Amino acid sequence: MSSVRKRHSFSTAVLAAVLVLFYAPILVVAVNALNQDDTLNSWGGGTLRWFRQILADGRVRGDFGTSALIAAATTILSVAIALTTVLAARRLPHGGRTAFNMITYARLMLPEVVTAVGLFLLFRRFGIEMGLVPVIIGHTLFCSAYATVVVQARYAAVSGRFSEAAADLGAGPWRTFRRVTLPLLAPALVVAGLLSFTFSFDDVVSSVFLSGSSVETLPMLMMGMIRQRVTPEVNAIAVAVMTITFVVVALVVAATNVRAAGGVRSSRDGATDDE
Amino acid sequence: MANLMKTAQTKAKAAAVRRLPPRWGGWLLAVPPMLFTLLFFLAPLVLLMIYSFGKIDILTFEIKFGWNLGNWAALGNGVYLSGLIRSLVLTLVSTVLCAVIGFPTALAISRASGRIQTVLLLAIIVPYWISFVVRNYAWLTLLGPRGLVTRLLTAVHLTGPGQDLRYTTGAILVGMVSSYLPLMILPIFVAMERIDPAVLDAAADLGLTALATVRRVILPLSMPGFIAGILLVGIPATGEYTIPSILGGGKTLMVGNIIHDQFLGVGDIPVGSAIATALMGLMLVLLLATRRRVRQLEDVL
Repeated sequence: MSSVRKRHSFSTAVLAAVLVLFYAPILVVAVNALNQDDTLNSWGGGTLRWFRQILADGRVRGDFGTSALIAAATTILSVAIALTTVLAARRLPHGGRTAFNMITYARLMLPEVVTAVGLFLLFRRFGIEMGLVPVIIGHTLFCSAYATVVVQARYAAVSGRFSEAAADLGAGPWRTFRRVTLPLLAPALVVAGLLSFTFSFDDVVSSVFLSGSSVETLPMLMMGMIRQRVTPEVNAIAVAVMTITFVVVALVVAATNVRAAGGVRSSRDGATDDE
Repeated sequence: MANLMKTAQTKAKAAAVRRLPPRWGGWLLAVPPMLFTLLFFLAPLVLLMIYSFGKIDILTFEIKFGWNLGNWAALGNGVYLSGLIRSLVLTLVSTVLCAVIGFPTALAISRASGRIQTVLLLAIIVPYWISFVVRNYAWLTLLGPRGLVTRLLTAVHLTGPGQDLRYTTGAILVGMVSSYLPLMILPIFVAMERIDPAVLDAAADLGLTALATVRRVILPLSMPGFIAGILLVGIPATGEYTIPSILGGGKTLMVGNIIHDQFLGVGDIPVGSAIATALMGLMLVLLLATRRRVRQLEDVL
């Protein structure tokens, strides 16, 4: 019995350490965002000055808008690609389905630098100027793969029985899709969309390669600011960005459940897979 | 009879509905995603391979195509080779650290019950959604000469006072492990959840101690989770650009930074293409080696 407790206490201690590893840095950033001492060497009292400063900063506001615009476009494209991929894959012969799956996983498994430089060469070769559209395409490339995996998992769990029932009741393919499949897929589409939005909003690599000189996203601005010096403004931006993330995660959890937010499917979901 | 006819009709209709889409609906739906991936995924990768054999004109910056093996030979060049090796070593070390830390963490979560487990899972998932830049920037503050970590280490005489721990290989390692750890913990946790409780009961009935159960039952049955985690951590980590840029301060170059400099700095695009193609090849080998296990990924992503 004592060994049981010992083992438990060891893994619990590791878990506690991991939580410190995850949250201590974030906490320090949050505290420093409120720190009056601009050298950040010690606590100089609380202030909201840094937040006021970033709100007044035109560059920060502009880059925030750019990032949000790119993320919104990426989200729409990614969800559309995910939905068509999943619906198509089910209707294709086995070979086509396998090819689709392979391409989805290849997009996830290749390091982002590789796909980003590939796109860089493509746009350069055909004289397309770097900027918003190339960045959106770059983000959609990997976000749509994540979105596809999320939607596919849900589709595998809900398709079959319900759509067959609808067809038996005389609903045509379009009606079955509108009235049965789409509502059942809705939570997964929401999760896929929010995942795409966050990943696009936070992306650095594709943005750096494909934005050219005219477009700058918020993470790119932060990278530049960090390189010079650790400043209170960066902390304030970081807190703002994190707040968005927390809201998104809360939305995901509200839309589905905790496991979906981590892309974790429980064994019970897995058991209902028809493949 | 009429009833039977009607049933037959409904059945035929249902069958037709189910059969109709495979004919043309599937292909029609497949067109947009197919076009997208052909144009923006497969074509760029082919272009990358072609460029890796090209040559840049030093005067006009025009790229000429041919079968130059010069770019590939350049991979043996000190700067590139050391960057490649450094990336692989850093990836290996951080993946192993993630696995070693991730297993007991997943175990502790899988043992927690109900509401607590939900909260713990959420606590692991939230960092995975938070911006990479923010998370790694956060370490800069802690590792600076007057940062919390530095002060703690000084207090136990591991470092001298006021030492700057930023911009070191160790700092990159801390950033990589803390950034990628959720991607190791989650698949291992999923694998553990799939273990039939009856197996654990059997282990206890057969007199295995708790420690022996962990080592001889839970650990081997968690292997699919480890393999998924190793792929999820190892592959992006190898091509990492953001973490070494922030925590390495440009001094400790990894392959991602070298590719960046070749393409956007004063570098040589064909050489950059060769490095990127080599990286792609390396990942393909890794994927093929584990291809039977990749199916597991579908379950955890």
